[in-house]
Amino acid sequence: MKPDAPRPDDAEIRRRQRARAVVMAVLLALFVILVYAITIAKIRLTL
Amino acid sequence: MTSVTAAAQTAVPADWRDFLALTKPRVMSLVVFTGLAGMLIAPVPIPPVLGFTAILCIALGAGAAAALNMWYEADLDAKMKRTADRPLPAGRMDRQSALHFGVGLAFFSVILMELATNRMAAAILALSILFYVLVYTIWLKRRTPQNIVIGGAAGAFPPLIGWAAATGHVGLLPILLFALIFLWTPPHFWALSLFVRSDYEAAGVPMLPVVAGIGPTRRQIFLYSLPMAAAAVAPWPLGLAGAFYGIAAAVLSLVFLAMALMVWLSRTVEPAAMKAEKRLFAFSILYLFAIFGALVADRLLFA
Repeated sequence: MKPDAPRPDDAEIRRRQRARAVVMAVLLALFVILVYAITIAKIRLTL
Repeated sequence: MTSVTAAAQTAVPADWRDFLALTKPRVMSLVVFTGLAGMLIAPVPIPPVLGFTAILCIALGAGAAAALNMWYEADLDAKMKRTADRPLPAGRMDRQSALHFGVGLAFFSVILMELATNRMAAAILALSILFYVLVYTIWLKRRTPQNIVIGGAAGAFPPLIGWAAATGHVGLLPILLFALIFLWTPPHFWALSLFVRSDYEAAGVPMLPVVAGIGPTRRQIFLYSLPMAAAAVAPWPLGLAGAFYGIAAAVLSLVFLAMALMVWLSRTVEPAAMKAEKRLFAFSILYLFAIFGALVADRLLFA
């Protein structure tokens, strides 16, 4: 085993970090869409 | 606690599914449904986008409260079969992550509710989260068999929030619905606690069957079902709902009372053989869905 070889956990850590990043990105994108829709709905209420 | 420490030491980040599990998605369905019902029966229509956001905020607020409950009760959950596989007791997540997630989600849900709807709805949402975490989880649950009676108020807020999101204030009908869920909670949870009594006993939670015994719990289930049935039917004679709802509520409540009476008359002490209790527990969930469904149908179809 090389000194800088990944520890057995590293692959799992990377996989989980990637999965959480993807979920977070999707949630943020949905949040942006939601805020836009809320803004439009609020503007229509005041018209 | 050793498994939790072990998870923290390996520093493997928790899976996103474990964060989802912290929000108790199954419990959320009833909260969302009663919140939606409160919104749909309100006299003022709400734009669909804002209504959707309000329901989303109710769900996120309930999820935040559940996450904070699991953060605080990790030691209890580890002692009970029913909860031992949750992310914290199973060692799949460290406590700090659960705390940060719960607090963050709570603030997010309340702020988004205020931005999308109004301050009253946001205030009641904040109150419900604080009530569940501070009053029920931290103060009452480990101290008194009244934990479910008083703590039941936490789960009774969604119809008020839904109504307030649409109208900006609180009326008599959502208060009656609050009372209905508040009075429904003790029979519902006591029926469950009768057949999982050994779990609560092992964890040292002073649920009524553990503290007072099986017989008194069965009597209390029936006694609490009486004002619950009255609260369920009350909107009809008060002119807040029509005959369709009134008849549906009366029939469903009579079935509930009959099942509660069967529980009172039961003499079974073996949890596996407690059919009446299991039947009542299962029916109590259907009961609440059906009552709120009938109220929405009454308002949308017959008003």
